[in-house]
Amino acid sequence: MAEPRTSFRRSPLFHRRPLEGEAGAVRIAERPFLGKFILRADAQAASDRLRAALGLGLPSEPLMSASQGDISFLWLGPDEWMLVTAQAEAKERASTARGVLVGVHHQLADVSDYYTIIEVAGPRARELLMKLTTLDVHPRVFRGGMVAGSMFGRANAFLWLPLAARDANAFNLFVRWSMADYLWCLIADAGREWGVPEETPIKGETLTIG
Amino acid sequence: MFLIRCPWCGERDVSDFSYGGEAHIARPADSDAMSDSAWADYVFLRTNPKGVHAERWNHQAGCRRWFNMLRNTATDDILAVYKMGETPPQVSANLPATPSGEAAIGSGNDAAKVMTTEEGRGEGGGK
Ligand SMILES: [Zn+2]
Repeated sequence: MAEPRTSFRRSPLFHRRPLEGEAGAVRIAERPFLGKFILRADAQAASDRLRAALGLGLPSEPLMSASQGDISFLWLGPDEWMLVTAQAEAKERASTARGVLVGVHHQLADVSDYYTIIEVAGPRARELLMKLTTLDVHPRVFRGGMVAGSMFGRANAFLWLPLAARDANAFNLFVRWSMADYLWCLIADAGREWGVPEETPIKGETLTIG
Repeated sequence: MFLIRCPWCGERDVSDFSYGGEAHIARPADSDAMSDSAWADYVFLRTNPKGVHAERWNHQAGCRRWFNMLRNTATDDILAVYKMGETPPQVSANLPATPSGEAAIGSGNDAAKVMTTEEGRGEGGGK
């Protein structure tokens, strides 16, 4: 009989270590394993119920987020949001949200392992992002709390600037697992002028299933 | 840069969007009773105007919502953007006069049109 397999969880960028430019001009790191859930619902019907249960309602404006402690709702569309929470409470909060939405036409899908987050922080973070996207990331347009989807290089990602972040320029990029390593290397390349080391894309990795 | 104003997200580069063809074409309710030619008309034939064209766009890299647009196909001016289900607004468009006097429908480029030879076979023109 074969040895029982040890289960382990691996983040999309587990093979990468945080990068830093000269004098902290930019800092690049993965934020792995946060709980992420896509919520589809009617805002009016869902927001008050969620506020009563989680202490946080849905953001009222497009392209904005709402945060309370370590829970956030990110606007992704007129009837679509992403619930982002700490990993430890993710399951419990999702089931709380499901519970209060009984009777409201909705969908709550766990996408924790579908996306990972690359954090791009530091005084040069905006300039770095300007090289990768056509989004206007000037501070007069892309303000704290905003979230917007666009292309970053050839990868589709959501850019979020959390309002309560310690660093006022700590951008979070939500990228799909299969594009994460590509975007990581592209971000590192865009940071070369501030001393970020070169990152080589992974290749030849064998896929083990079962 | 070619900017499109998404009704939800505001102005974004065209690379965020994908095109969805002509707008306001309703799927026939009783397709079983239709003739093949009427079905082919619904599936394939489009107005293809030189001038104001109602068309669907999707903000694929952003909010992923569909919306409608009125665009002047002769100048690429975006005349109006409106949400799904809304009535197209009244717009006016200037059609530039062209020296070759292009047709109102089609490219008007006679050199590229298919010509019929004496044998009755289609053959590319422009020879
Ligand atoms: Zn949009």
